[in-house]
Amino acid sequence: MDPQPEPTSYICGDCGAENTLKPGDVIQCRECGYRILYKKRTRRVVQYEAR
Amino acid sequence: MAPIEKPDYSALRELVHPHIDSFDYFLDEGLEKAVVSIRPVELSDPVSGSKLRISFGKPYVNAPTKEGRLKSSLYPHQCREAGLSYKGEFKVELNLQFDNKAVVRDHISFGHLPIMLRSKLCHLRGASPEELIFHKEEATEMGGYFICNGLERLARLLIVPKRNYPIGMVRKSFRSRGDGYTSKGVVIRCVREDQSSVTIKLYYLQNGSARIGFWIRGREVLLPVGIILKALIDTNDHEIFLSLTSCYNEKYQRQKGAVGTQLAGERAQIILDEVRALLLLTRSQCLEHIGEFFQPAIYGFETETHLVVAEAVLRDYIFVHLANNYDKFNLLIFMLQKLFALVDQTAAPDNPDALQNQEVLLPGHLITLYVKEKLEEWLHKSIRDIKDEMSKNPAEFKFNKLDAKKISRNSPSIGRAVESMIRTGKLATRSTLDLPQKDGLTIQAERLNFLRFISHFCAVHRGAAFAKMRTTSVRKLLPESWGFLCPVHTPDGEPCGLLNHMASSCRVTSFYDSDGKIKDFLKIRMTILTVLVGMGMASSLPKLEQAGPPEVLHVLLDGCVVGSISSSNIEDAVGHLRRLKLSASSGFPADLEVGHVPLSLGGAYPGLYLFTSPSRFVRPVRNIYQLSDVNHCVELIGPFEQAFMEIKCPDGGEGGRREGFPATHEEIHPTGILSVVANLTPWSDHNQSPRNMYQCQMAKQTMGFSAQAIGKRADVKLYHLQTPQSPIVRTSSYSKYCIDEYPTGTNAIVAVLAYTGYDMEDAMILNKSSVERGLCRGQIYQTETVDLTKKHDKSTRVVEIFARSSDRKMSSSIDSDGLPYVGQKVQPNDPYYSSYNTLTSDIKPTNMKSSEPAVIDFVSIDGTNLKNGIQKANIRFRRPRNPVIGDKFSSRHGQKGVCSQLWPDIDMPFSAITGMRPDLIINPHAFPSRMTIGMLLESVAAKGGCLKGQFMDATPFSNSVNKADDNTSFESSSLVDELGPMLTSYGFNYHGVEVLYSGVFGVEMTCEIFIGPVYYQRLRHMVSDKFQVRSTGVVDQVTRQPIGGRKRGGGIRFGEMERDSLLAHGAAYLLHDRLHSSSDYHIAEVCSICGSLLTASTLQPQKRIVREIRGLPPAKAPKTFTCLNCRSSKGIETVAMPYVFRYLAAELASMNIRMDLRLSNQQEK
Repeated sequence: MDPQPEPTSYICGDCGAENTLKPGDVIQCRECGYRILYKKRTRRVVQYEAR
Repeated sequence: MAPIEKPDYSALRELVHPHIDSFDYFLDEGLEKAVVSIRPVELSDPVSGSKLRISFGKPYVNAPTKEGRLKSSLYPHQCREAGLSYKGEFKVELNLQFDNKAVVRDHISFGHLPIMLRSKLCHLRGASPEELIFHKEEATEMGGYFICNGLERLARLLIVPKRNYPIGMVRKSFRSRGDGYTSKGVVIRCVREDQSSVTIKLYYLQNGSARIGFWIRGREVLLPVGIILKALIDTNDHEIFLSLTSCYNEKYQRQKGAVGTQLAGERAQIILDEVRALLLLTRSQCLEHIGEFFQPAIYGFETETHLVVAEAVLRDYIFVHLANNYDKFNLLIFMLQKLFALVDQTAAPDNPDALQNQEVLLPGHLITLYVKEKLEEWLHKSIRDIKDEMSKNPAEFKFNKLDAKKISRNSPSIGRAVESMIRTGKLATRSTLDLPQKDGLTIQAERLNFLRFISHFCAVHRGAAFAKMRTTSVRKLLPESWGFLCPVHTPDGEPCGLLNHMASSCRVTSFYDSDGKIKDFLKIRMTILTVLVGMGMASSLPKLEQAGPPEVLHVLLDGCVVGSISSSNIEDAVGHLRRLKLSASSGFPADLEVGHVPLSLGGAYPGLYLFTSPSRFVRPVRNIYQLSDVNHCVELIGPFEQAFMEIKCPDGGEGGRREGFPATHEEIHPTGILSVVANLTPWSDHNQSPRNMYQCQMAKQTMGFSAQAIGKRADVKLYHLQTPQSPIVRTSSYSKYCIDEYPTGTNAIVAVLAYTGYDMEDAMILNKSSVERGLCRGQIYQTETVDLTKKHDKSTRVVEIFARSSDRKMSSSIDSDGLPYVGQKVQPNDPYYSSYNTLTSDIKPTNMKSSEPAVIDFVSIDGTNLKNGIQKANIRFRRPRNPVIGDKFSSRHGQKGVCSQLWPDIDMPFSAITGMRPDLIINPHAFPSRMTIGMLLESVAAKGGCLKGQFMDATPFSNSVNKADDNTSFESSSLVDELGPMLTSYGFNYHGVEVLYSGVFGVEMTCEIFIGPVYYQRLRHMVSDKFQVRSTGVVDQVTRQPIGGRKRGGGIRFGEMERDSLLAHGAAYLLHDRLHSSSDYHIAEVCSICGSLLTASTLQPQKRIVREIRGLPPAKAPKTFTCLNCRSSKGIETVAMPYVFRYLAAELASMNIRMDLRLSNQQEK
């Protein structure tokens, strides 16, 4: 396991607020308490085949 | 800009009404009625003599809430995302009464009941499209289904026999009931108020008597009919005799409608003699006899007297839809008369396969039945538990110690039972509940595309038992189903004719009137009765004997013989009833079925049958007989009355109707006979009918715009079309049902010509540039739910969470939370998530199994019911599915084809005038034999529509409709005369053809080519999901032959027929290669001395110096074998054989059979 994994950002499935979770955090939106969070799109460069 | 008109989804909502209405009734009243109808149980303590009475009180169902203390509302989208069930708490009041003291009430929770979407307890009930979108639903969300573990499931509508109507039947299986039974009988399915039913069968015996049969506890009980007749009411033999013979009158012999014959008297005599032979003379003797007979068979009456048992049998099993014994007696007499008429062939048998004698089983009623059965089961079980406790410890046991909590402590969750019924479609009961089948009651609502989704709700199944039947008579399209079931929309193949779809105008009657109030059936029946008496009906009570047809007709109201009406004024009476049906103030329900079966010679048994019951099919027609008010002339008619009505279709003809019988009703629109999907085929009246059936099938397999809330859904598999279009040529139903919300195809420019030869045999050429510009592009969304809690047993307490290792290699594809990056592409066998086992503290990545790369579309983490870390996630993959060679496409006219080439745009033929190149080329041979003229019309009309900038109306049968200005001259001109001039006015050819130049040679083609836009659908069958290749690979462990199956990397079977063809060609080497060398080729050691295949075994290889050559693998020492049997290696020979042969030898050896091989080099002579 990563010694210190960096926190990841999620978007609440209900209200759309951004949440940053560290491993071991409770999965719950801080704004509305909704328990399904969506991962944000990666900031890395992704390349698709454009054919 | 003009304000955008709000779309009207009411027509769509109407489609699911049967489902929602029935479930609403279940919540409103049905559940309570079912619970109340459960018989209270009494217990007595043998020691103290105290008594306990347990009964159920009021049931309560709550709206779905989230788990936890807050009890906040649970919305459907949360269930879909988190894989939960949409259910509300179910409680029942339990009443305990000790020794006739005051009743102690207590609420017991029976788990959670699944709640139907948009039913009265659903949070989405009555939500506007905006609110629905706010709650992350489709704007069109119609409800009507349940959500179980995140899956959408709905109850299948099943055909059941019409309730409370005696059906005359001829069935060979009736003879097997016993000696003397004939094939004739009258069957009635009686339905109680709580929707549970008991079917009563009246069998005719060869000696002229009859037996009454019904099922108790999985066994059919047969009783002489005379006993029941006498047990029902205090009567005498004379009265019974008169009642049975009353329908025969010498005066009317052989006259039209005379159903009675003089044999009735003899039969009545036999029936009465039978009872007398049993020494049963009075009512009490009969009851005593019945009670004695049934005491062991029915539950909870062990201590009661025979009389009480008999009363209970008559109440709970004989004609349960009637409360009064006099009514039951009259109905039994009526059924006997009908039976005798059937035997004497003065009346024809009814067809149980015709819709006339059928109704539908609705989800709400099914659940009512099931809950009642489960509650009864629970009650009996808890009684048994108390008794066990009592017998174990009789001295200490006291009733006062009991309370509701104690009784219910081991209560099985009824909510869970209902949920599992909806999830699996199986009824877990001992009895069949008088239902046609016990499994396959629910189906998954697939959202492949919108048309498939909505046709699930309109589908009506005939029953699983008929699928196995060899005879095809049940599958036939009968005229009785006209207007109710769509003649076009049924699948071809196995379920053909068994799985039908309701016509678009067909409705199902419910417990609710048009104002949404529950109908008061008692009041309705009283109103009808007073009207009937006012019209000259002689009431059947208290006078028992009545004359019969043809003098008078019996009047049955919901299966109760209410009286008789003179056959001379029946026509007026029926007319009057219909008039009252139309007026809202009369108190008559609009869906009252007035089935007047007229007098006939050997036809259906005459009578006036009135039905107010729910779950009948009805459809609107226009009443033209009573033109009092133009606005109030739409009448709802059922399939029973329709068979005897004169309904005309406004196509100008009279439909073979003779002059004496003028039409009384008129169809509203001819397309009302077609289902929603069949209605969408443009100009389907110009196509050959099977092509329209194929289109209904293919429309439901089209890749389309499956859902608008696609981002908030976690369906396992979802097809999605990237660039859908609205069709230029469309029917009126297209806008009525708002299909534009979910378009399913693309307007492609189609040229009909034989070009390059790649369009032979239903292949089609796609323009490569069109595809690159986005024609028919699509993708598949596949969601994988990873639940790490389910990986281990709960007992082991191993906790696993998503996490990433510090390994550099892994971080390229897995994010720091152990899940993949959103938007990233995953190659086959790449890791896409990894999990950390907290017990062993090792990290295990999971690799992608599929054979093609996929893009991570979204990743959602689910924290419901979890405390420690991320343990549950939905990962959705996006797989591009752009058109490639081998993908399947179809027009809306049953013309399917496979893409054979993506042809370069520069080599496509081009138009001389516009220079346009077609998107798609199909072969002209697709038309002559298939006769899909509708497709040609669509092409011409769409071309005109493009030029004009308009959508074109292609509603079928539009020339058979009453025009608004009411000119009686019907259009005789063909559609082409309308469309042709439109094209010419824009400078195009009248017939839609154009001069085309060859794209390869640049020369003009020798003939003009038919070209125009046609709406094309992309079907879900795609090569990328189907191709299967293999060289060497996985083999079966036992036989060492290649395995089958695409997923496992198996091969395609080279079967017997393929073997035959190679043999016929004499291609022996190829055959040997396929079946041996490329399969389970094996070199076996055989001992030629003993002939055994199994005894050869390796000797310990002696150490021998093998010279190693550099660069080559070390040579293996040749193995030496010895026969264990002969203890020598002299006779060992190597033989090539299929490995299965060796396996066979081993199998035989295990059965003590020895197999000897005789080896020789020469052929034996």
